[in-house]
Amino acid sequence: MHEISLVQGLLRQLAELARQHNSRAISKVRVEIGPLSGIVIDSFQFGFEVLAAEEKLTSEALLEIVAPPIQYKCRSCGHVCLDQAGAPDACPECGHNLLMPDGGGDLILLQVEMV
Amino acid sequence: MCDDCGCVSPSHKVVAVNQSLLAANDALAEKNREHIEELGAVAINLISGPGSGKTTLLEKTIERLGKELRIGVIEGDIETERDAERIRAKGVPVVQLTTGGACHLDAALVHKGIHALEDQLDDKKLDLLFIENVGNLVCPATFYLGEHQRVVMVSVPEGPDKPAKYPKAFIGAHVFMISKTDLLPYFDFSSEMAIKDALQLNPNLTVMSVSATAGDGFDSWLAYLRFLCQ
Repeated sequence: MHEISLVQGLLRQLAELARQHNSRAISKVRVEIGPLSGIVIDSFQFGFEVLAAEEKLTSEALLEIVAPPIQYKCRSCGHVCLDQAGAPDACPECGHNLLMPDGGGDLILLQVEMV
Repeated sequence: MCDDCGCVSPSHKVVAVNQSLLAANDALAEKNREHIEELGAVAINLISGPGSGKTTLLEKTIERLGKELRIGVIEGDIETERDAERIRAKGVPVVQLTTGGACHLDAALVHKGIHALEDQLDDKKLDLLFIENVGNLVCPATFYLGEHQRVVMVSVPEGPDKPAKYPKAFIGAHVFMISKTDLLPYFDFSSEMAIKDALQLNPNLTVMSVSATAGDGFDSWLAYLRFLCQ
């Protein structure tokens, strides 16, 4: 449910960017949602559709979400592996159970297209 | 470029932003932290699901440390003053923030809370500020409030699978507290599993097992708080 507050924050950020660039309409917004950011992508998308439609500036804006896979780094050998089915039990490289998430908590406004 | 034909419209702009969506919250949280430090306090953001025993932990902490340290509390709830009333009964300054539906505290709300709390302090000084977040193991984890330490709590009846199911809350925390340990004989709760999963997410976590009502492990919690306030 906190997705809605984050969308509200995003819309405020977009309004500020539009003002800086003398833009009258935002056409596309690209956001990265990390797998460990605690954000439900569908809820974020839904919140954006509902709230962006209420503002003239964003009523035509498309939201593109970039969702990188979870990355785990082994604290024993440094091996980095990707896994989308949950944390692997052991490092495929050295066999130690010392894998921990490497980043993935980001929530970033990457790029905005405007006219 | 327009989507229909690929032409480049002269008025079309692509702006690379690369800024966190939480930048505004985080900037305000830094101000909160400065404000908290001006009061001389260390702030703890207490996060758990509803009913894990956050308020009881604070009540017992105030009973044991209230004469030794100047403690203030900011209570976050969706509705009611109930938690604040419990804390007020222990004789320390407290502010209740009601979010009116929102599932978490954010830096802007806490900013108001710190001002309201400051108004209750005669000498504008505090050693320890507890921010009891809205009972929820998901949403509060995303919002930095300006705290120095984040404590995430799971009670024995909730089950040991919480770290694996709610990773974000554990990744961002400093302390993982297992609460209501006096109930361990009655529940199938594997502390080993909970701790292993939590440390896999965040090897820097300090783990504590505490029963606020029976007192088990409470001295290590108090020792940790005294250490923070040194």
